[in-house]
Amino acid sequence: MLSVKNVTKYYGDKRAVNNISFDVKEGEIFGLLGVNGAGKTTTFRMIMNLLEPTSGKITFNNKKIDYDITDKIGFLTEERSLLTKLTVKEQIIYYGTLKSISKDIILKRLDELLERFNISEYKDVKINTLSKGNQQKIQFISAIINEPKLLILDEPFSGLDPINIELFKSVILDLQKKKTAIIFSSHRMDHVEMLCEKLLILVKGETVLEGSLKKIKDDFKVKKISIKADVSKKELESIKGVNKVYKDNDSFTLYIDDIKYSKNVFDYIKKKDNVSKYEVSPLSLEEIFISKVGTFYGK
Amino acid sequence: MENKFKFLVKMSFLRKIKNKSFIIGNIIVLIIIALLVNIDSVVSFFGGDFNDNYEIRVVDNANYYDDIKKDLSSINNSLDKEIKINKTDKKVKEEEKNLKSTKDILLVIDKDETNVFTAKVISYSYIDNLDYEYILGALNKSKVRIAVNELNLSDEDVNKLSSNVNTKRVILDNNSKGEEKSKTLLSFLSLVVVLPCFMLIIFLVQMIGAEINEEKQTRSMEIIIGNVSVKTHFFSKVVASNLFILLQGFLLLLYSFIGLLIRKAVTGSINITNSVNSSLNIADVTSIFKDINLIDKLSYIIPLILILLVLSFLAYSLLAGILASMTTNMENFSQLQTPLVVINLIGYYLVILSSLFPGAFFIKVMSCIPLISISLAPSLLISGEISVNLIIVAILLLMLLDYLLVKYGLRIYKAGILNYSENNLWKKMFKAAKER
Repeated sequence: MLSVKNVTKYYGDKRAVNNISFDVKEGEIFGLLGVNGAGKTTTFRMIMNLLEPTSGKITFNNKKIDYDITDKIGFLTEERSLLTKLTVKEQIIYYGTLKSISKDIILKRLDELLERFNISEYKDVKINTLSKGNQQKIQFISAIINEPKLLILDEPFSGLDPINIELFKSVILDLQKKKTAIIFSSHRMDHVEMLCEKLLILVKGETVLEGSLKKIKDDFKVKKISIKADVSKKELESIKGVNKVYKDNDSFTLYIDDIKYSKNVFDYIKKKDNVSKYEVSPLSLEEIFISKVGTFYGK
Repeated sequence: MENKFKFLVKMSFLRKIKNKSFIIGNIIVLIIIALLVNIDSVVSFFGGDFNDNYEIRVVDNANYYDDIKKDLSSINNSLDKEIKINKTDKKVKEEEKNLKSTKDILLVIDKDETNVFTAKVISYSYIDNLDYEYILGALNKSKVRIAVNELNLSDEDVNKLSSNVNTKRVILDNNSKGEEKSKTLLSFLSLVVVLPCFMLIIFLVQMIGAEINEEKQTRSMEIIIGNVSVKTHFFSKVVASNLFILLQGFLLLLYSFIGLLIRKAVTGSINITNSVNSSLNIADVTSIFKDINLIDKLSYIIPLILILLVLSFLAYSLLAGILASMTTNMENFSQLQTPLVVINLIGYYLVILSSLFPGAFFIKVMSCIPLISISLAPSLLISGEISVNLIIVAILLLMLLDYLLVKYGLRIYKAGILNYSENNLWKKMFKAAKER
């Protein structure tokens, strides 16, 4: 479906994105991660045909992206892109018409979506009178009013409470079931971990990590061991292969450089009294992200 | 499915006219215009006086009243006022009290052995210089006649002595013959043509600026530009803002018409000579229009002025759109639009100056300069100050400016609307203009 191949973008002399490549298939949720200024927004703008890549190619179903194709793409920007003096209905008609949808269809879909998001009563209300969360719902509705084939979600959960985050997640998963390809960007790694099957991490426009979430986790050599036993921090730090040890109340978290060192830790711990927990697990996405991005920034 | 360009134009236009500030602003403008057209009635309602007529009461201690009245009466014709002249037997002190808060004049005539008579002109407030000069002239004329009569000369001799010298004014420079008419006409045009144009340009610049800024600030620009080309978006703003000022111009005309209707209902006349300054004397202006054969010239004056207006409004809207695309907030835009407002203002002041210096070469040259020509050229063409050739030059220069603004401005607009950084802004924009 969406193919980004060897794309580089320069702003003057400044390189914003360097030779990135990825594919997003039908019904796939793809995570595009990075700290602020990593090149995510530039990448989204290139996909939306707002910017021309300096080199490389972006295609959708093997066609160069044009306005016929952007009609099939939904884009939820990180900052709220709503004309707040308009009413909800006017706003959705505005964006829907720009996506080449007839007014009747827009209104029919709007009623359904307002109901789905539990905000039917705000249809004729001006956007600037709505709460942050409800404005985010309107923005989300405006991004999916065209029933997009490709949906770009840049920080979709911004300003939402946990209940509404769940509501958004369920809508995203429904869209996935309807074969919509989704590009998802968030600073909340737990959300990415929960939704994305594949991801790419950008640092200063460079790809530092990409692939399926499972493979990334498996391939990441550093592992985490959680221990609850009568042992001291100093003892654990002296075991060969143990990189760092953190104590939290009566439990310890150890980071080992490779899975092969887990046996050393296990052999040491099994001799100790009151061992109630010993668990080896891969690092969370957040830990991998911090590790990778931190390395890039020299931390 | 709706055409996206038409839809964007419609949305911009409707957003503007549904805006509360537009509705409230227009109600205020309607009230102001209606009040201005009826300012004399308004002032009278609050106890003011627009009546220029007054009475000259003469305290005649020399027994020359009949002679003096004869000469004072001629002032009526010269000043186009109704001045009553009456003799009073009351004492000066008593009459002085009666002058309070009136425009009336008390004229005290005393016998004088060497100068026939002396006169004291007493008024409550300052007398207009012209009126004072005419009263003085009339008194001098009376004095000469009385002195001559006392010499027992024949009526024929008296007439010879007291009548004015028969003079004929001959002006050799044909161009300066129409200067007076031109001054009156230009004063009239600056009020009824140039001022509304000036206001409409300000509305136009502000509408484009506000719309583009709002779309940039709210980041909805990214969504819009993702679905329509930059060119479509840019021209939709230009067309919508020009349609808007067309409506606003029509509304200004309508408000003036409503003001005149109110005037007709209140005073029974639509003559606004008393209401505003004398340059708006409709009868004078109409007669000048007849003198310069304006009706015969309308067949080419109207199309030329319309082309000039359309091209000028287009140039202003293109420039405003380009400048707005480079800014990130309304404050920025207010600063960037200042040059446009100043250029517009220069044009307006040049029209006023053109009525003071008819035929000035500098003003003729300025009437060809794009953005200034909209204020200057139409008025100068109507008054005959500039030729058709010169207005064609102004139109050609405007066409060139519009072409350059479309060609290079569109590139700046494309780079500007997605730019949110003020660093090296002008460098970036110049670079964008050069890029193909």
